[in-house]
Amino acid sequence: MAEQPLKILDYDKLEIGEELGSYEYVLTQEMLDNYRQSIDDPDAAFPTLAVKHDGTALNMVYNDTTGGVNAGNEVEFFNPPVPGKKIFVKGRIADKYLRRDKPYLVIEATAVDEDVNLLERLKTYQMKKPDEVGKKWHPQA
Amino acid sequence: MASTSIEIGAEIPSVTKSVTTASILQCETCAILDRENIHNSEERAKERWGTTYTLASGRMSIAFASESMRKFFGPDVFHHTGSVNLKFLRPVKNGDTITVTGKVSSQRQVEQGTEIVVELLCENQNKDRTAAGIGTAIV
Repeated sequence: MAEQPLKILDYDKLEIGEELGSYEYVLTQEMLDNYRQSIDDPDAAFPTLAVKHDGTALNMVYNDTTGGVNAGNEVEFFNPPVPGKKIFVKGRIADKYLRRDKPYLVIEATAVDEDVNLLERLKTYQMKKPDEVGKKWHPQA
Repeated sequence: MASTSIEIGAEIPSVTKSVTTASILQCETCAILDRENIHNSEERAKERWGTTYTLASGRMSIAFASESMRKFFGPDVFHHTGSVNLKFLRPVKNGDTITVTGKVSSQRQVEQGTEIVVELLCENQNKDRTAAGIGTAIV
């Protein structure tokens, strides 16, 4: 992955459709084994979920000092990745909106392998006021 | 394998998973960006959420729901046409036991066949909803 200076994430300045980081990596058998063991599913086929393609693409471009709560994930499966093959990921900002006065950011990443097989499309819905959720679930803290 | 004779209201196989600090951390080792977060660092979790423990990534719940869906539709269908869309309602942490259930709620004709929609629910050991949403597959 190419190193580049990170920009400070300013929610108001983010643009829908804005491209995030693009990168490639080789999926290893060890990653697949770790993933399967962590979720106790020996037949799980998409360790790419735990690689966090979209979050990685965001964090390659932005220094997110606010953080965010993962309010939801949406994933589409097209072809299981094959260990040993290179995976190419492209990220973008899919949407941003306010709901109940809380700012939401939707990031998306699409992954294809070295044979140009479409593998997976993942979206994460981040709520960008994580302290409020912390208060809701842990009021005594 | 599923066919278009799938009935509305049909239940998909339930899966139940124990979540531990070890499983949360192991799932995090799959990430390619080495970065502290609320899933692998108690310090970050405390700073962001005020907890004294790490929290499971929502992607673990997506994985659990995907297993239920795969068991119903079969990998040949689900791994090529499947989707899962969950909203996370409560945090999942060490010691929790998450059960995924689902029922077929609708179907419609699409270009590639029949899209089956499943309503998905994740509950913890106290029957609290931790996530809810839908999964789809085309048969």
